[in-house]
Amino acid sequence: MLLGTLIYGFVNSIILALVALGFSLTFGISGVANFAYGALYILAGFLSWLLFNSVGLPYILAAPFSVLLTAIAGALMYRFVLLRIRGMVLSEVIATFGIGLSTLELFKYLGFIGFEYTLPVFIDYSIDIGQVTIDMQRIFIVVIGIALAVFLWFFTHYTKTGLRFRGIAQDERTALSLGINSDRVGTLSVSFGAAYAAIAAIVILPLGTITVDHGYEVLINALAVCIVGGLGSTGGVVIASFLLGYAQTFTATYIESHWVMVVPLVAILAILVIKPSGLYGEQKELEERI
Amino acid sequence: MLDIKNLMVFFENALALNDLSMMVNEGEIVGVIGSNSAGKTTLMNTVSGLIIDMKIKEQRKGGERITVYGQITFQGEDITDVKPNDRVKKGIVLSRERHPIFPESDVMENLKIAGHMKKMSELREMTEYVFQLFPALFDLKKRRAGFLSGGEQQMLAIGMALIVKPVLLLLDEPLLGLSPHLQSALVKAIKNLRSESGITILITEQFARPVLPIIDRGYVIENGMLTLTGTGAELMENPEIKAAYFGI
Repeated sequence: MLLGTLIYGFVNSIILALVALGFSLTFGISGVANFAYGALYILAGFLSWLLFNSVGLPYILAAPFSVLLTAIAGALMYRFVLLRIRGMVLSEVIATFGIGLSTLELFKYLGFIGFEYTLPVFIDYSIDIGQVTIDMQRIFIVVIGIALAVFLWFFTHYTKTGLRFRGIAQDERTALSLGINSDRVGTLSVSFGAAYAAIAAIVILPLGTITVDHGYEVLINALAVCIVGGLGSTGGVVIASFLLGYAQTFTATYIESHWVMVVPLVAILAILVIKPSGLYGEQKELEERI
Repeated sequence: MLDIKNLMVFFENALALNDLSMMVNEGEIVGVIGSNSAGKTTLMNTVSGLIIDMKIKEQRKGGERITVYGQITFQGEDITDVKPNDRVKKGIVLSRERHPIFPESDVMENLKIAGHMKKMSELREMTEYVFQLFPALFDLKKRRAGFLSGGEQQMLAIGMALIVKPVLLLLDEPLLGLSPHLQSALVKAIKNLRSESGITILITEQFARPVLPIIDRGYVIENGMLTLTGTGAELMENPEIKAAYFGI
């Protein structure tokens, strides 16, 4: 029983990390808190559903194609909305939240409600670890989650675009004087974040149905993980995902499952009281030490 | 090479640069000497194009109104409205005042970020050159830039600008906050830089004494206006300069 809780807690942690990586990436680079994140996640889910069921593409094409479309949606959002209000944090939050809200409610209005909206699992098979049965989709989530986190680290440290990301993230004006185009990097950062949301959606959504309400839940989870871990810190995201992931799973197992949704909110409150910059608030780390 | 004509910069109604004209010839080291708030940094931001970015950001915020009049020509081309990143591609690279570095990255990564447009082999070659120019940096390769001393950060900042392979290097108050010993070491490095790589250098400074001996020509600005100009030696002998900057 405990083994099962530990294994499913691990999977749940990876799910949280997957969901939060994109949000953290965008915020870490361009300082945009993308509150349309949950909407982008659901958008990717419905897009791949539509491409698969209505357009009739094979799923192996529909999934990457919807990731691409979601990334483009993120880029467009930056170019046409966020660019005009860059640097004004409150406006950015209001604008992205507005876009997210209207996208999600539009899906609801168009009637995307029901049990038929599900994405297929990659392989319908399950394996046993000890006495615990786990399906292949959850194994995929773990593998892809770890792969994406590792990829992100290598990308930001060893590629030219990644180095530009790190430059802009630390000092925009210095980056500008070295010839880094801040608008292009900003567009890419939101677009990358959207692509990460889309990949997370395609891996995670097959576990249940695609519902509009899930979009809000994703946003709250992503926010909680990022705030607890420290905004913009990838290491913090990973650690916070495990804290929250296990906290949620233990709550579901030993208390009652309807308390699970309270866990991220309590975590946000607790961390804001104890250490407002988060466990690994990279932005503040140096200032606090000096 | 660089020709500035009748440059005027306003922040709201405050005049930061007033009808400033100056030029920099190829291969020269030109100094702009002035006290605090004389307009040195505004001049550098205008030449590097950063002011265009500042202007756009202020406009978005509905903040300060920045207005630029006049003309800047670089290698025969009017660059007054060229964006900062395109100016870098043309070879104008600015090292901003107060040691601009990326504090969370280590020294090596700072140089790599600066070389984001360069090929691997070129980057390696330039990094070696920077370490040769500033040997102190070599031992600090893995140190986070935020933990370096002011002098080390300044060397890194200049190194980063060099990685971009500038045609015209703009140094904004490179001696600010350095000890006299480090100041003379840095000035020597700047002199070597010109003799070895032939880069044209425009340098602003309020410490006239260490800078004047190495510059070919200098401009003295006060309250955004040009008050004096001459060769380095002429300025050294000028009684007004002596009184204002050397305290004689």
